[in-house]
Amino acid sequence: MKRSTILAAGVASIACLVVAGPSWADMKYDGVTLNIASQNDQFAPVLAALAPKFKAATGAEVKVDILNYPDLATKTQADFVGHTKGYDIVTMDIVWSGQYAEAGYTVDLTEWIKKDADEIKVDDIYPSLMSALGGWKGKQVAFPFAGYANVLAYRKDLYEAAGLKPPTTMEEMVAAALKLTDASKKQYGFVANGAKGPAVAQDWMQYNAQMGGSILKDGKPALNSEANVKSLSVYNELFQKAAPPGAADYWWDGRETAFKTGIAANMETWSIGAAGYSDPSQSKVVDKFAIELAPPGAGLPKKYGIGGWGLAINADIDAKKKEAAWAFIKWVTSASVAKETNLGGLSSFIRKSQTHDPDVAKKYPFISVIDETFEHGDGEYRPRIPQYPQIQDILGTAVNGVLVGNGDPKKALDDAQAEAAKLF
Amino acid sequence: MSFVQRRRLFLVLMGAPAVIYVLIVAGWPLAQGIWLSVFDYSLLHPATRHFVGIGNYVALWTDPSARRSVITTVEFTVAAVGLELVFGMALALLLWRDERFERVSLALLLIPITVTPVAVGLVFRALLAPDFGLIGYYAAEAGLSIPRGFLGDPNTALGAVVMIDTWEWTPLMALILLAGLKALPAEIFEAAEVDGANGWQRFRMIILPMLLPAIFLALVLRTMDAFRVFDIVFATTGGGPADKTDVLMFYAVKQGLQFFNVGFAAAVANSMVVFIAIFAVLFILVVRRADRTARET
Repeated sequence: MKRSTILAAGVASIACLVVAGPSWADMKYDGVTLNIASQNDQFAPVLAALAPKFKAATGAEVKVDILNYPDLATKTQADFVGHTKGYDIVTMDIVWSGQYAEAGYTVDLTEWIKKDADEIKVDDIYPSLMSALGGWKGKQVAFPFAGYANVLAYRKDLYEAAGLKPPTTMEEMVAAALKLTDASKKQYGFVANGAKGPAVAQDWMQYNAQMGGSILKDGKPALNSEANVKSLSVYNELFQKAAPPGAADYWWDGRETAFKTGIAANMETWSIGAAGYSDPSQSKVVDKFAIELAPPGAGLPKKYGIGGWGLAINADIDAKKKEAAWAFIKWVTSASVAKETNLGGLSSFIRKSQTHDPDVAKKYPFISVIDETFEHGDGEYRPRIPQYPQIQDILGTAVNGVLVGNGDPKKALDDAQAEAAKLF
Repeated sequence: MSFVQRRRLFLVLMGAPAVIYVLIVAGWPLAQGIWLSVFDYSLLHPATRHFVGIGNYVALWTDPSARRSVITTVEFTVAAVGLELVFGMALALLLWRDERFERVSLALLLIPITVTPVAVGLVFRALLAPDFGLIGYYAAEAGLSIPRGFLGDPNTALGAVVMIDTWEWTPLMALILLAGLKALPAEIFEAAEVDGANGWQRFRMIILPMLLPAIFLALVLRTMDAFRVFDIVFATTGGGPADKTDVLMFYAVKQGLQFFNVGFAAAVANSMVVFIAIFAVLFILVVRRADRTARET
């Protein structure tokens, strides 16, 4: 081989390396392993499936530990308190924001977001989600990852047959639920969670907010306010007159089954599950249902419940890992990755560009409802304060007690208020 | 060193690993539990930890929901273990002299024991659901349960949970008692038959007194377990309806792992140890007395 040929080959090789430079440079996290504690929601397997792609792009290995809710809470809490650095990234439930912020468990991302605002396209993210899924009193303890919208799923065939229009107010929804109930035909107008614990507490708090109630007043519990007592009376009336008999014992699975099997005409639910009603393998109401905005009480402002998860970085881990974790969060929440995962069926949105994307709209016909919900999102109907777990537990017992006939709403909420006041 | 001393040293050394093991896995956590229980200690606010003496124990007895949990747990334990003893004894007696079905029956009996309690709870929750469940639907239709179902009715929920526990653990009781029955000497029964003792007399005068050690073992094992019931309650009722199935272990887990009040949770757990010890002492006294009575007659 001539010297000139060898030289040309050498130059070409270097040129290739230079051209390939960016990806070479991106491999700066080679040898870094990120351990993620993930809630066992629809996004968990997606995170695991994305891990090899992130490794290929950056060199960082991502391991996803998929946990159920109580395990996630316990293991991450133990990790934070013991400073054991077991997890680098944690999926954070919306209601943990206050607790994380006050205890300083996770990295405050405020400055990082400002620094990378253009790359992240911050303006594309719904402000309501940025605030609810990690924002707390000026701190950003997690980055929004999976936004869920509370929506109304209803049986359009039954509404049409009864000559009813889709409800735009809570009062209309209650009237329709009562009208569409015919227990002799096993047809019920309403279903919601009734089981003691988080199930009934979370569902009631949602309806309560829509009816103008509130759990806190000036930062202190106000469980027995007039509006709350009234909303619990309405919730109870729906359970006694319009819900399947077993609903007082329903968790989320029971509630969803009731709607999918066609025995319930109205149900408020998280948008993430709504796509499943069109799947004939798990639903008997394919083509018979529609998704609408969760109706607020008549005359009340548009305020829709939002929930979901943020991604938080453990404050104890070293700087290199924090950097890699931030790179992962930016990547996994980017518009391109989010579009790919949502077209794959993830159904979790945080970006306006996603809810206005024609391809996404084809897959999710109700995407405009999600968009409107996020635009007027209320992430505070379940108070995101450190005492939330106890308040949820107190309400979970009190509301369930009313539904099973163990007390009247006023007395139940008076007792609950007395118990909750001790926490402050 | 004399032979006796050397022998004693040898025995001490042989027993030492076991003692050290018990101290590490049981003694140390128990001591830690007692130590934690005298502090107001929340993992959410570790810096505010402070000594409260018996404050957590006092709070346990003054908190109405905790008191209710104690009563529910005792009701559950007495009912479940009592039913399991009766059914277990009946099963053991049926299988004792049976040769045709014994092996198959023993294999079948092992099935409920091997299923994890959470799975048992979830399966029964589905079975008892009044709107979809195989048992719950027909029971509600037939008017055997209220429309909300057995688990949704404050009057029947605890009973339903007791029945689920009984389904799972009666076989264990039966197996322990069957092993006890098999160990009884046959000559005594032959002699009793010659003396003209009928079935009931043989059971009351011979089987029951001689089976007391096995009964004691079965009762203690099951009481310890039943008093700490959590999984079945968690999977079926979550402590509801209202607070009707809120057992003590559920309360302790909630305090420790949901609210992270580890000091208070430790006090609840220690109280449970005391309760179980009281049950065990009661069993010992009853069994001893029965044994003495049997010897005297």
